[in-house]
Amino acid sequence: MRKLFLTVMIGAWTVAQLPAQSLQLRITGLDGLASKAKATVDITLDSSMLQMAGGFLGGNGKDQDAAKLKELLAGLKAITVRSYEFKEEGQYRREELDPIRAQLRGPGWSKIVSVTEEKELTEIYMRTDQGKAAGFAIIAAEPKELTVVAIEGTIDLNDLSKLGGLGIPAIPLPNQGKGNDKDRNKKGKEE
Amino acid sequence: MNLDDELRSAMRREDPPLGFTQRVVARAQSKPVRKPAMFRMVWAAGLAAMLVIGFTAASEYRQIKAERAANQAVVALRIAAAKLNMTRDKVLKLEN
Repeated sequence: MRKLFLTVMIGAWTVAQLPAQSLQLRITGLDGLASKAKATVDITLDSSMLQMAGGFLGGNGKDQDAAKLKELLAGLKAITVRSYEFKEEGQYRREELDPIRAQLRGPGWSKIVSVTEEKELTEIYMRTDQGKAAGFAIIAAEPKELTVVAIEGTIDLNDLSKLGGLGIPAIPLPNQGKGNDKDRNKKGKEE
Repeated sequence: MNLDDELRSAMRREDPPLGFTQRVVARAQSKPVRKPAMFRMVWAAGLAAMLVIGFTAASEYRQIKAERAANQAVVALRIAAAKLNMTRDKVLKLEN
């Protein structure tokens, strides 16, 4: 009886975890690249860390950029960045991105921009939840650099682009609310 | 008197003086001797100092952790913004 109860409880917990796991992008399969890279950025911030970061940035309330950044961070649940810079070309294969791209083909995710060139691939994916933007992911594969960014939470790319004061370049992106991003997508040579 | 007799005399059983048992019980039931006030104050001050140091260290650790998280968040958003910008430039280049 006790074993049955434990089995049922573990099963219920596993089922409860499934939706969260399936929605959150897991950047896997890239760990081996760190040894080949001349520079690596590996950042993983969960909601509690982002909360701490927001608290630190908005501590005095005088710095407007910090206040904006704090506001932006308040809507985020997780940030994951993996970026590898190589000395030479050919240090990674595009197939190494397949596990990530496979997740991004799943439900909830939609590709909003894809640019494929001879040696470069750039993709931006948006995750929506009940019609609202709930996160986005960027894959930028360049000859000597590979970057994957996953941001979970409510974020407006225009807000992100406005954070120029902290060294973040201003990016005039199309308004996400109007739903015209897909019209602006320009695909080069699709795979 | 030889040695045996001396020992026997010295070690002979004697009853305690009158009231000895009551005095022992009374002493045992009386309040313990209070430590001097100075000693208690030093002990309290030491404890307070340890608490202050502990809280300060914990606060400092949280502050360092928050600063590191903030720096990482800024770097992450900077990378995200740079890649968005790069993508926009590529799209514009392909459109033209």
